[in-house]
Amino acid sequence: MSDAWRLPPLAAVLVAVVLIVCAEAGGASMVRFKVELTRWARGVMLAHPEVHGLVGVRDVDERILDEALVKFDAGLRLFHLHAEGMGLVILATTAVAATLARGRRVRGVMIALLTAGGAGYPLGYLLWSWLIPHHGIERGKSIAEWFVWMPFGGAMIVALWWLAGLVVLRLARR
Amino acid sequence: MSQGKAGTERWAAARVAANAAAHGVSGSAEYDDEVRARAVYSAEAGLSFFHTHAEGLGLILFFTSTVVASAVPWRRARVLLYALLGLGSLFPLGYLVYGVAALELGRDTGIALAETWILTPLGSATLAGLLGLAVALAARRRRA
Repeated sequence: MSDAWRLPPLAAVLVAVVLIVCAEAGGASMVRFKVELTRWARGVMLAHPEVHGLVGVRDVDERILDEALVKFDAGLRLFHLHAEGMGLVILATTAVAATLARGRRVRGVMIALLTAGGAGYPLGYLLWSWLIPHHGIERGKSIAEWFVWMPFGGAMIVALWWLAGLVVLRLARR
Repeated sequence: MSQGKAGTERWAAARVAANAAAHGVSGSAEYDDEVRARAVYSAEAGLSFFHTHAEGLGLILFFTSTVVASAVPWRRARVLLYALLGLGSLFPLGYLVYGVAALELGRDTGIALAETWILTPLGSATLAGLLGLAVALAARRRRA
């Protein structure tokens, strides 16, 4: 087997690059539209007082709104961070899989899991941010966990352990 | 940053005092303490953002330029993408300017200067480079 690195499928590389583009655009938008985003989230929360436990007393409500807005902002930041990081993780791990996995089918499944898991996981943070004003911090987190973080993060974890096992196997056979 | 935190804070506070007019220092201790704390916090945030973004963008430049070298077959397109991605990788330096300018020119003026003249153009170069790479990859995929 050659020692040269093999390029992962173009589709996987494209997904990784587009994910990094989304991360960069998200980071820039967070700064550029900070006031507009905060105003939107606050407006939606005020329209759903029962979801956030708003009681109509300014001192109490402002504290609740502030906490939710901090989490809303944190979700956007975490999307920015994870999307950049996962874009790079997809590039690196799919290159390792393309180079070390021998069977065509095994390689295909592994690369598909790494790409889908890596690209889907950060979107959970974006979803969480969007859900906070509509459904509250905890319920929003729970929805994002079940529908995005667990399936996509799970796919990523499975694929990474599989890849780690493959690297160990190659080392043992040398 | 972590070892020199106390020294950085002292230096930042001294720069606020040296540029009192730019910070709108009024002579009222309570108000001035708040102004100083906000300016020092911004300077520290600039350093912290420099640290995280320099690590991230270094890796992004490394990986994306490798993808350009391996997957973009057109020479001129490669040169353009290298130029955009290389220029964009200087983006974190904008946060150093952000930190210093917030102390020297006043918090809001300094941050606006760094955002307008350094962070936005360099960030746009990175975005343009990445979008260009995505388009080149899609075009190559369609050809294949």
